[in-house]
Amino acid sequence: MNLRVLIVDDESPARERLRSMLVETDGFEVAGEADTGQRALALCDTLKPDIVLLDVRMPGIDGLEVARHLATHPEPPAVIFTTAFDEYALEAFESEAVAYLLKPIRAEKLRAALAKAGRLTRAQLQQMASAARESIRRTHIGVRGRDGLKLIPVEEVFCFHADQKYTTVKHQKGEDLIEDSLKTLEDEYSTDFVRIHRNALVNTRFLERIARDATGQHFVHLRGFPDALEVSRRMAGDLKDRFRI
Amino acid sequence: MNRPAPQPPAGDAEQPKQLYLPDFCAARAVLAIVIICELTALVLALARNEAALGFWPDLARTSMFLLWISLCGAGLLCVLRGYLNRQSLPKGSMLVLALTAAMVALISSIAYYFGGRAGWLEGGALIPDDHWTFLVRNIVITLIVTALALRYFYVTHEWRKNVELQAKARVYALQARIRPHFLFNSMNTIASLTRSNPARAEEAVLDLAELFRANLNEKRNQITLAEEIDVARTYQRMEQLRLGERLRVEWKVDTLPKDAWVPGLTLQPLLENAIYHGVEPRPEGGTVTVTGEFNKGMITIVVRNPVPLANLTVRDGNRLALANIKERMELMYGESSTVKSGRFDEEYIVTLRFPFTSGEGARLK
Repeated sequence: MNLRVLIVDDESPARERLRSMLVETDGFEVAGEADTGQRALALCDTLKPDIVLLDVRMPGIDGLEVARHLATHPEPPAVIFTTAFDEYALEAFESEAVAYLLKPIRAEKLRAALAKAGRLTRAQLQQMASAARESIRRTHIGVRGRDGLKLIPVEEVFCFHADQKYTTVKHQKGEDLIEDSLKTLEDEYSTDFVRIHRNALVNTRFLERIARDATGQHFVHLRGFPDALEVSRRMAGDLKDRFRI
Repeated sequence: MNRPAPQPPAGDAEQPKQLYLPDFCAARAVLAIVIICELTALVLALARNEAALGFWPDLARTSMFLLWISLCGAGLLCVLRGYLNRQSLPKGSMLVLALTAAMVALISSIAYYFGGRAGWLEGGALIPDDHWTFLVRNIVITLIVTALALRYFYVTHEWRKNVELQAKARVYALQARIRPHFLFNSMNTIASLTRSNPARAEEAVLDLAELFRANLNEKRNQITLAEEIDVARTYQRMEQLRLGERLRVEWKVDTLPKDAWVPGLTLQPLLENAIYHGVEPRPEGGTVTVTGEFNKGMITIVVRNPVPLANLTVRDGNRLALANIKERMELMYGESSTVKSGRFDEEYIVTLRFPFTSGEGARLK
């Protein structure tokens, strides 16, 4: 059976060229094309391609971020990056993708990369996905709902809140359940978010003040967010010193 | 790809080294001469330490004598400058030295004659020896001081020339920069069109060649506005192939005088920036507007592009291009040109303003 390839590039001539090269390659077929990162993620959900040819530089959600979101799939596809100019120093992402190809792409290089992707075992793909989860910082949080993938810009997020099983993301347009654990979110956004409690991570750009109630319990107030959030005793002093609030 | 910077046109760098004399009729050079001369007088007076006459009168007399010599010398060199500056370095230097020596001999003889009559010889301070010793001493001192001064003028001139060359080289280097992304993406587009639409691929190759020719063009730093707009439109065609409907450009430049001189690559980089920063990062694309106005001899060109959404990756690096354009506009128009840029609400706006010059008027600059 042919391996199915999704082509992602914002420029139509670039997609066209990849398509015509793929048509001439035995053992592979074009599953679909996407011209933005968002559409690529949506198509991956529905088409479930084996391989994604992913342009790194795209408007909106760029290729690296698409790869990062794909890495959360239970069965992540193999990712091949394509780029016109190596401005991201893509060697840094060597372990996150099968290969990266420089445009204009030579047919034999494309075939070699596709062949390599076809040989990968599920374990190897999982390994790449976990590398991508560790090294690529997302600008959007992906929420999988009934009507497909929803993307929430990280700078609109007030806080992440963890229950027994789920993590809730509270943002300017409401709240959603996500699959990421608080720990991985804390690692991913260590520069912008701060842990205020065992179960909560808040966006430092919304920090307004810390208040204390009669019992001595500390609460954090966020700009534009109605609820006060509980601060653990251990974090309260830290928070005050770090943000002078 | 940054191609190596083209060498600026080799001016006098490759010719044999020439003598350089400043304009001795100019106030600066005369001041330099007076200072050199006073310092020499001071050295002489200090070294002589004349007991009979006293330090200050000795210094005063020596100064007067040296000022006569040096100012006459400056006058002479001022008159002969045009001729001397055309000579090779050794020949010119020898000529200057011979001229000053001859002049010193003449003035010394006159001083000796009149000094003798005025009774200065008795004091012994200024003219202590017989005529010939006096002449030889003066000539030797003059030769040494003149040689040092010549060396000084030559070195400072070389240094200034060097600074200028470096500045020019920097301008050329900046000018030569084409975004590597643009090049490779264009190549990719052409590779794709070669299969699907060979005629368009051919057009694209021709456009790309034209753009590179404009980019590599060193000699014609001044081109007409019509030519520059042409280059910018060629660039737009190239990007249009790639970005399709996402890129829209509105041109409102009909009222501009098309024969006005502009430095090459002023409008095209602005369009490039506008597309790179304002259109490419937006999934829905955007419209770039180029507006031209001609009023009271001043040309105003305004390029506007939508500002990338705040939450998208911000691209930087347009300051370099803007600084380069500003620098070249200043080189061509001096103080009368302005380059302004800034963000206004949802738009990023760059405004160029420069005087209209065309034909001979501009070429003379």
